[in-house]
Amino acid sequence: MGIFKVSPLRKRQFWGGLSGLALGVGVILFLSLKTSEEYVSLGPMNNGHNEISCAACHTDANGNLSQQIQSNMAHAFGMRENGVDFGTKDVTVKNCLECHDRPNDRHPTYRFSEPRFRKVIKKIDATTCITCHTEHNGERVSVAAINYCMNCHQDLEVENDPVNISHVKLIANEQWFTCIQCHDFHGNHRYNVPTKLQDTIPLKIIQNYLDGGEDPYGKDKKYLGLSEPEWIKTLQKK
Amino acid sequence: MKKPESSPFLVLIILIVSFVLLNSCGGVPEENSTSATSEGNVFSVDEVLEMVSKENDVTRTLYTKAIVGKGKLQGMKFDEDWRKDDVEAGPLPALFLRGVATSIRKGPIPLGLYLGSDFPINNANKFEGEQEKLFEEIKETQDPKFFYDESQELHTAMFADLASAQACVTCHNEHPQTAKTDWKLGDVMGATTWQYPKDSLSYTGALDVLNAYAKGTVDVYVEYLDEIAAFKSSEKPIIGEKWPEDGNYLPTPEVFLDSVRKLSSYETLKSLIASK
Repeated sequence: MGIFKVSPLRKRQFWGGLSGLALGVGVILFLSLKTSEEYVSLGPMNNGHNEISCAACHTDANGNLSQQIQSNMAHAFGMRENGVDFGTKDVTVKNCLECHDRPNDRHPTYRFSEPRFRKVIKKIDATTCITCHTEHNGERVSVAAINYCMNCHQDLEVENDPVNISHVKLIANEQWFTCIQCHDFHGNHRYNVPTKLQDTIPLKIIQNYLDGGEDPYGKDKKYLGLSEPEWIKTLQKK
Repeated sequence: MKKPESSPFLVLIILIVSFVLLNSCGGVPEENSTSATSEGNVFSVDEVLEMVSKENDVTRTLYTKAIVGKGKLQGMKFDEDWRKDDVEAGPLPALFLRGVATSIRKGPIPLGLYLGSDFPINNANKFEGEQEKLFEEIKETQDPKFFYDESQELHTAMFADLASAQACVTCHNEHPQTAKTDWKLGDVMGATTWQYPKDSLSYTGALDVLNAYAKGTVDVYVEYLDEIAAFKSSEKPIIGEKWPEDGNYLPTPEVFLDSVRKLSSYETLKSLIASK
């Protein structure tokens, strides 16, 4: 079988090439294993996402590779209306809401699509989860500064204000960091808010929570995000 | 050693094969493309938003008058914190609408619905910018306003939200956080804002929008009934065919939706036929 005969002058290249091929296939197979996902990930998963597999969010894009290339080339030349995702689908708010949507969300992302929030979302884009919850950072909240309430609640007045330093005064003094010491943004905790500012949760503890530490508002929540098996069950019902 | 000659013929074959491979599969079918449907677009987005807005008016008036207004006379409670565990109450009309809007956004129809005012109970719902300017005109004429929101590439419409029931006037005037205490029946209390991405819709597209709204209504009403089921200390109304005007009763979601359809179907049907 002359076809498998290797020239004595090319033996080094042949074995080198074969080893490279074997190594490449091995690496691809290794990285395809679920247990290897941490090596593929851009960084450590955020809090609560440690048990989630990559494919839960990064689903295969529609079509095969050839179709995707063709469709995007057609789009580039103006021959079709929309391009398509390449490789895996983009992760969008819809993906997040499949597990985290709940009726009592105080600040649901969709509300900020209204035209009157146009200026605000230039400062903090509340129409998308990743503005505050960038994934693969190993934390809970990634927003740069937690004084974000200032963007919408400058005119807030609370009738019969129960707090010893009124909301109006706190706002006038631009103490926007104090908001989160009583109010979590999505309002899902069953938490009795203190009436004295000195009894509120210290900022250091809040920051620790945002970084991924213990929840200072307590563990009693009205709704819990779905685990991956629970989420899969919802897909099977559809 | 002889250098292999490159063959233009081979290069051409490779190019042709690549081209055929790239194009033979037909690409990925377009989603949500106007060209993907054989059905023609017969409604402008403004017409469809007007239709769904009228259905919203009927639904809100029915909910406000027949459920909230009459229900209060029977001792039923309605509260802005109706979702809290320690509050045994139903959603106020504005929150009912927000519930509908939330349900729509969970579905596949890209319809946005919002409620705002120049004197809202919650300051976060106060109009700003272009909406504030247009709302001033709406208050004068009660005519809808249509515009294209370029930043989000969405067709947008605003419709007057009237004080159609005494319950609207009384609750808003007496609310501890109200910024206005002299509301009267028939006043323009605010405006609903609707958004949709396309400039025209087919019959199916228009019906999808109307159905998405109706589904939203049922969803939030079911949530209200679920809250009632979890009441611990309050008397639970009987859910069935009857309405609060007959006693401590609430209609089932089907009965509620049937009434909405009976009240709104004539106007909607007229709009659907008029486009023929």
